[in-house]
Amino acid sequence: MKKAETVYNSKKRKGDKQLGVLFNGGKVRRRREWRGLKDTLYDFGRWLYLWGIMADASVSRGFVQGMFRYRWMANYLAVPHMLDKFTMGMRDEPLRITHTAMDFVVKDVAQCIKNSLRGDRRTGKDKAYSDTCVLTDENAMTAFMMGFPMLNAILREVPCMFSANLLNQYSAMHYLDVAQEHGIPGDVCPMPEAEAGMSIDDDFPVLGKIAVQVNTTCDGSLMGNGLIAKRLEREYGIKTFQLVAPMRHKEEDVQEYAAQDIKNAIAFIEENMGVKWDWKAYFECAKRVNQTTRDRWEWLQINSTNYPQFIGSVFSLYNDTNYMGNCGRSAAFPPINEKIMKLVHQGYERKTMMAPEYRHRCIVWGVQPQYVIDMLYWMVNCWGVVPLTDMLSMVIDKEIAEEDTPENREQAYYDMAYLNENMIMRNRTHGGYKVLVDELWELCERMNADMVMMWEHMSCKALTGMHGQFEEQARERGIHLVWVCHDLCDPRVYTRQAIRDQFNEYMRTVMREEPLDPSIEVQPDDNAW
Amino acid sequence: MNKCIKIPLMALGGAGSVFAVLFTIYFFNLDMKFMATFIEPFLSRHYDRMPRNQYV
Repeated sequence: MKKAETVYNSKKRKGDKQLGVLFNGGKVRRRREWRGLKDTLYDFGRWLYLWGIMADASVSRGFVQGMFRYRWMANYLAVPHMLDKFTMGMRDEPLRITHTAMDFVVKDVAQCIKNSLRGDRRTGKDKAYSDTCVLTDENAMTAFMMGFPMLNAILREVPCMFSANLLNQYSAMHYLDVAQEHGIPGDVCPMPEAEAGMSIDDDFPVLGKIAVQVNTTCDGSLMGNGLIAKRLEREYGIKTFQLVAPMRHKEEDVQEYAAQDIKNAIAFIEENMGVKWDWKAYFECAKRVNQTTRDRWEWLQINSTNYPQFIGSVFSLYNDTNYMGNCGRSAAFPPINEKIMKLVHQGYERKTMMAPEYRHRCIVWGVQPQYVIDMLYWMVNCWGVVPLTDMLSMVIDKEIAEEDTPENREQAYYDMAYLNENMIMRNRTHGGYKVLVDELWELCERMNADMVMMWEHMSCKALTGMHGQFEEQARERGIHLVWVCHDLCDPRVYTRQAIRDQFNEYMRTVMREEPLDPSIEVQPDDNAW
Repeated sequence: MNKCIKIPLMALGGAGSVFAVLFTIYFFNLDMKFMATFIEPFLSRHYDRMPRNQYV
């Protein structure tokens, strides 16, 4: 079997060494982590900053009415708790990288909440603003909005469902129950099912003149979108366009169709919103998308060394936000990328580590629930297993045309189709054997990984057929393959400890190893947010 | 005491007190404990009582 070189941390960790002292079985932690004076003060400063973002959002139009109207809003009480979860055990540069990235994601989501409530017909009631809004699917690259700087793309499912679930593991349960009370089976992916439940329960803000839905990521998503579109069109009179990305997105013969559908989506928006596509704005966005791709590859390059810096759920979340929600449309992202880049290089040069030792180098693959729990940071702290990257962060790998020329204007439709087809997660779960299986082993080679943690999502049908092939090929290559089952945002199927126990069992029985921090091998956080 | 000394000292004392209070809230996680104990249960009860227009 492959074995990564064990890397030892020459610096003694300041502050709390046994992280189990922070948990007492309650909804929240007993206290915050002591990280040494300098890092605790830094974390305190970021805590104040987070409350500042929340206070700013709370005085926006429609916010108070929204708090009393929408059930999902209550989850935002837990924002600082989420950051505690994602900065577990961190000191020095990784702490600063995580805060820089995640605090910006919080700011971005807060802006989305403000926009959603401002235009909402029940709370903010700003009709003029609402008429400039296009509702876009959460699971979409917003590439088709890159040339409409005069319009607002509102991904309302992000604050209502996705981000809410980062904050509180129980956030989707009410909506799952509503969906199932109305006859939707319980073995569908809980993510689209919760979105469908939210629509049935009439708990989405209602705004926008039109909507664009996509057929990503899966059959469950299609089911959810059908119900949502029905309510949008018939009850609220919001016309909805279905943007259809081909499933076999690696095949050459589907690209013309994919590009044509992007043209159709743009024409639909132009016709209904009364605006014209702006090529100058599009190519500015394209430059930012390319910069994002270059930055992400540089971070991954550093993660392929002995001293990875930007890892875990926040690496993935930041990429999700940057590619899907933003897709080059916001000029606020590149400066954040620059700050992160500086810290990543500094941490690498100083050989900063997140645990006393790194024993294994791990690729995280499969449909992942790692946003809901602190699993990836727990792996580093408890077992010295470093998650180098994950499936959702392995999005696009080529740059798109960024100069405004007549040829590139035609190429741009193909590029937008490429972005849409390669939406996060979908680019791996669809597109055939190569993107899901072969490229995983190539990535293991490139990142010098000796372990793969395969998330097995109980309600997801996309990866089930490949189970045996992953096992067979990992054995051939001498790579440790750890299967970890979960049910995404339904903690009733797999609790947090039930998820961690599968990893614990592998590390003890197969690897014959002892934890670096035994106090968190069993972590009483099943009742926690 | 001279006013020139008294005012900065008072400002420093005030800032120190604000820092002490905020840091205590931060370190003992009192913000999250307050939200989890009082606000979330109150809002959950409120949402449960709301009539909903459920429709498939």
